[in-house]
Amino acid sequence: MKILIAEDEIALQQSIATYLEKDGNTCEVASDFNEAVYKVDLYEYDLILLDINLTTGSGLDVLKSLKKKKKESGVIIISANNSLDDKLDGLDLGADDYITKPFHLAELNSRIKAVLRRGKYGGDNTITFNEIKVDTKSRTAYVNGKSLGLTRKEYDLLVFFMTNKGRVLSKEIIAEHLWGDNSDLADNFDFIYVHINNLRKKLTGEGAKYIKTAYGSGYKFIED
Amino acid sequence: MLISTITLYFYVKSLMRSEVEEELYSTTARVEAALSKNDIMFSLSPLVEITYADLISPEILKDTIIYDPSQNEMEEFRELSIFKEIKGKKYKITVRNLIVESEDILIAIILSYMTIIILVFIFLFYFNKARNNKLWLPFFTNLEAMKNFSITSDKPISLVDSEIIEFSELKDEVETLINKVRSDYKNLKHYTEDVSHELQTPLAIIQAKIENIINGDDLNDKQFEHLTSIQKDIQRLTQMNKRLTLLTKIENNQFDNLEIVNMYDRIAVTVKNFQELSNVQIQISGDVNLPLVNMDPYLAEVLCNNLVSNALKHSNPDGIVKIFASNKVLSISNQGSKALEHPEKLYSRFYRESELAKSTGLGLAIVHKICQLYKFKISYQFIDGTHSFTVKF
Repeated sequence: MKILIAEDEIALQQSIATYLEKDGNTCEVASDFNEAVYKVDLYEYDLILLDINLTTGSGLDVLKSLKKKKKESGVIIISANNSLDDKLDGLDLGADDYITKPFHLAELNSRIKAVLRRGKYGGDNTITFNEIKVDTKSRTAYVNGKSLGLTRKEYDLLVFFMTNKGRVLSKEIIAEHLWGDNSDLADNFDFIYVHINNLRKKLTGEGAKYIKTAYGSGYKFIED
Repeated sequence: MLISTITLYFYVKSLMRSEVEEELYSTTARVEAALSKNDIMFSLSPLVEITYADLISPEILKDTIIYDPSQNEMEEFRELSIFKEIKGKKYKITVRNLIVESEDILIAIILSYMTIIILVFIFLFYFNKARNNKLWLPFFTNLEAMKNFSITSDKPISLVDSEIIEFSELKDEVETLINKVRSDYKNLKHYTEDVSHELQTPLAIIQAKIENIINGDDLNDKQFEHLTSIQKDIQRLTQMNKRLTLLTKIENNQFDNLEIVNMYDRIAVTVKNFQELSNVQIQISGDVNLPLVNMDPYLAEVLCNNLVSNALKHSNPDGIVKIFASNKVLSISNQGSKALEHPEKLYSRFYRESELAKSTGLGLAIVHKICQLYKFKISYQFIDGTHSFTVKF
């Protein structure tokens, strides 16, 4: 997939690019407003990561010009501002999702994949990994065509793992993905163990042993 | 006043007496003249009486009291009797004149004094009042303006100038103070907002880099543990930032979206979210459709989240958090081992009584701010090993 990262903080821009390129994406970067407008105008992207506060202009204006040209790229807005108004403005203008700084790259990756799935580029609402198939519309997961009967959290967890396959996911990242701002309430992450173990059992029961432990306390979804 | 009344009384009295006497002498002179001309004896009792006298005596001037039938009372007269020989006949001419009674004089003086005093008093009263009103008008106008002054509103304060130097100086000082307070307040407001805002990007960079390191190669378990611990701290910082921004936003009245919120439903959603995160049991009771509260729905969510998460954080591990919602009241209680040492600091920012690392120390400060914003009453109690918060809407 071809992704444009319009972000004026070079360090952040490069970190995002590094992370996304590992999945085989092609990343281009724009470091200010003019470059972003120029690139959006000239090239076609599957997805654009758009920082609202670009040094020389607003990301929302880039979005406006994009929509004016009727380009079909998916857009995820990145903002340092956790205000509802900004979020609604962005979504009203046609952005597909909105993420607030600071965010986990795994979380961003998961959102990017969700946007692309829903997307206009032949997204088919399914995620497949070997014998596992997830239907994101009906929110059900199958192994070899057999439904796994996952709970809501287990389903979210499986999708998160599959969209970040091959990555090490710490419990902090998983907790934040599942519970957002309330994750600080989860004492000692026992609850993540419960959910992960249940999911693991259900997958292993069907012969899909892909959830591995990494570095003692992290997890990785990977083929043997 | 009293002295002048007495002096005046005696002065008027003597004045009148001498006037009366003068008149008596002039009347006797006229009577004498009439007698010498016409030799007719006439009498007009009690004013003029002419009788023959046996011998000539010196004149007599005295006060006398004569009954006046027309007025049916005793009247005081001044009487002058002189003896004269006119054309060989000896006459006694007695002339009397009514004199004004001393009580009458006194009353007249007192009355006129009183009238004058009252009139002067009334005049001075209204005159002073009008004058004072005019003088103090700038002061009271400014005082009223200061009373209505609110630091949170951007409405400029309009003070009036005065001709009185002190008031004018006061006005200038108040204006300087208000401008200073306003600009300080604005700076502070922006500072909190800016700091929270500016921190987000560096935090995002740190977080992204850590994730890239974790996904790099040669890492050992120990290093991984350190990195995830940093992730945890970044999350704490992020939470703190979010809550500080929220506090500032509430203080700046940036939540003006009012809706009728069913608190029971609201807290039930919160409980559902939290139940899978904690071993502590949560029980809800009360009226399903009450209380209905008019407030910003997002703040209602924050209020419920913070109260429930506070109860969960400080509950005994095997305890039960009890929530009760009824008409106009929402109460949340959890079991704890001991009472708070400083319950009065409960709603202060960053106040923590236990060294619980997962607490930002801002949750209850936010709850308190929300209650202040909507004028809800929040109270805290510790009875029989149970901490409970009650919000009255």
